[in-house]
Amino acid sequence: MGNRRARIPYFLAAPGIIWLGLFFLVPLALMLVESLKTGGLFSGGYHFNWEFSNYGDAITKNSEFIFRSIRISAYVTVACLLFGYPLAYWIAFHGGRWKSQLLLLVLLPFFVSYIIRTIQWTFILSDQGIILGPLKSLGLVSEGFHVLATEFAVVAGIFYSFLPFAMLPLYVSLERIDKRLVEAATDLYASRLQAFLKVVLPLSLPGVFAAVVLTFVPATGDYVNAELLGNPGTFLVGNKIQDLFLNKNNYPEAAALSLVLMVVMVVIASIYARALGTEEATNMAAAG
Amino acid sequence: MTEPLDPIRMKRAMHARLTRRTFMKGTGAGIAGISLASILAACGSDKGPGAAQPTDIFSGEPGNLVNFANWPLYMDEGEGSDGKVTHPSLDAFTKKTDIDVDYKEGINENAEFFGKLQPQFEAGDPTGYDIIVITNGRQLTALIQSGWVYELDPALRPNFEANAADFARSPEFDPDNKHTMAWQSGITGIGVNLDRVNGPITSLDDLANPAKVGTDTVGMLREDMPNAVMIHLGIDPKTSGPDEWNEAAAWLQHQKDAGTVRKYYTQGYIDDFKVGNLAASMAWSGDIEYYRVWEDKPFEFVFPETGALLWVDNQMIPVGAANPVGAIELMDWYYQPEIADMVTEYVLYMTPVKGVQDLMLKNADAYRDDGDEDSAKRTEESAHSDFLFPSEEFLAKTSFGRNLTTDDEVEEWDAIFDPISQT
Repeated sequence: MGNRRARIPYFLAAPGIIWLGLFFLVPLALMLVESLKTGGLFSGGYHFNWEFSNYGDAITKNSEFIFRSIRISAYVTVACLLFGYPLAYWIAFHGGRWKSQLLLLVLLPFFVSYIIRTIQWTFILSDQGIILGPLKSLGLVSEGFHVLATEFAVVAGIFYSFLPFAMLPLYVSLERIDKRLVEAATDLYASRLQAFLKVVLPLSLPGVFAAVVLTFVPATGDYVNAELLGNPGTFLVGNKIQDLFLNKNNYPEAAALSLVLMVVMVVIASIYARALGTEEATNMAAAG
Repeated sequence: MTEPLDPIRMKRAMHARLTRRTFMKGTGAGIAGISLASILAACGSDKGPGAAQPTDIFSGEPGNLVNFANWPLYMDEGEGSDGKVTHPSLDAFTKKTDIDVDYKEGINENAEFFGKLQPQFEAGDPTGYDIIVITNGRQLTALIQSGWVYELDPALRPNFEANAADFARSPEFDPDNKHTMAWQSGITGIGVNLDRVNGPITSLDDLANPAKVGTDTVGMLREDMPNAVMIHLGIDPKTSGPDEWNEAAAWLQHQKDAGTVRKYYTQGYIDDFKVGNLAASMAWSGDIEYYRVWEDKPFEFVFPETGALLWVDNQMIPVGAANPVGAIELMDWYYQPEIADMVTEYVLYMTPVKGVQDLMLKNADAYRDDGDEDSAKRTEESAHSDFLFPSEEFLAKTSFGRNLTTDDEVEEWDAIFDPISQT
């Protein structure tokens, strides 16, 4: 009976593990195999050859795109935190009986396809569109002014797409904070700002960590916003991977670059987790 | 004489064709064509190209069905009694031959479509298609070199032999049309928004001149621009090498440094063009001509004074096709002038078939006789367009692009030109 009980968690986890195995580990393995192939368009395709030099090529040829993607993702993540944290805080602490509706408003854009949402920005921000057209007619901006095809448009587009991903985990962690702790802090002569900095912010760190990971990681691989809203200077590593796969038919280099990006993201996330000390904060929140 | 198309229906259909070559590929659809199954197929096989061509592939009677893959909005369209889209030229083929055609608009990019088929070719499996349409370029050359498309039997294409235009016969990328028969052709030139430029635009140099086009107002076509610039510099792309490629890259960098380029497009330039985000762009002839002729936009397609890039979309029969005999019969069907006219009046690209211009002019007369002066005028204008029916003098100033034939050439070419559009 004891052994059977001990096996129950594994049975419960089995569907998830199988799903993860089939749809993550197997494709990852196939990607690894693809990344070690050689050949070409005129060589009858690609064949497995333990070609580890593909990784060297992927890094040396594409480091500029990797660094650029990390930089833009950092801007997006900071923007998501700056906008998402106050929004999540306000809903968690002051949303009252309207919390569900307010959360729904945040999530509403997700009912529309990601591509459609991004394409809509090309119409809204068009040089003669509904925003810039009237401004140009009134002489408030110059005729040559444009928002599309700039880095700002790409950052804004990715920010718009990922703000809910940042806001939701922040909301969850803030919602879990016992409000009596804040009261206790103010009873002990802490100002509201001190109460926030000493009580609320540290306890919300697991949410901040999740928000950063859920924003920074996918934003680094995003290519849709750069493709539709950007210019040559905003060509990101996701665009390069897409270009290698879909335009150049260079699958080994594309696979190698994808795996390099994955490793870079894991390293950055690990360093960040250590620096933030989220494990300790999570344990404290759980104990509280 | 061919029946004139209903002008209202044609206009409505043509409005939908506005994104034929600029059809937005599903950029959010993930890695199109690189499915788990296809990767497994590729991984599981180290075979080379598909099965060797059978010596009697074109013998026997045609089958009952031809599977035809083409680009979107690249076929004449009508409306059936049930309101569904029909293709009158395909329906006429079926009526004449009793061969059904399963027509799919599944090609949005040459490389993307090639990527979808490559695992099947490598595994020696049929692709499910009998006819595919690929633009001259590296993918088409790879298909031919790898033995992944059948050699055609000239005896089974009498209409092609009789009526193919000179530019469609024995092109450099497929001598003697061993593997290809042109579907449509076009020119890469300059699209101009007359309301946004300062003075006449006559050459690519104007696209690098901020005084003429402003800053951040020019679109360039990523795949076409190396060859187009070489032509502009007086270089014959067909015989060019790395020195000439670097010369073209230097010009492109100079243009980029001048600040005129807004974006480098694979597709989608026409969307920015239509809404006024671009003053001028490298453009495909049919796209600009449609908006000029049928939508009265203030656009002009300019044939650069130093010459322009010619491209051809080619019909081919992939190895493993279930009905190659039916396929070549259908391919040759479109080399009858009256059938070719049905397609050309819809898509407004350069037909590879002689005799279509006269038919279009007759159709214009028919519109006029019916009292539809507007359609008559527009059809006449299209019929007299150098971009649909180029003169010999006109064609003499066009050139096909460089035909890359080895992986080393591809790598060197990409290393020279990719940084222009990606940094």
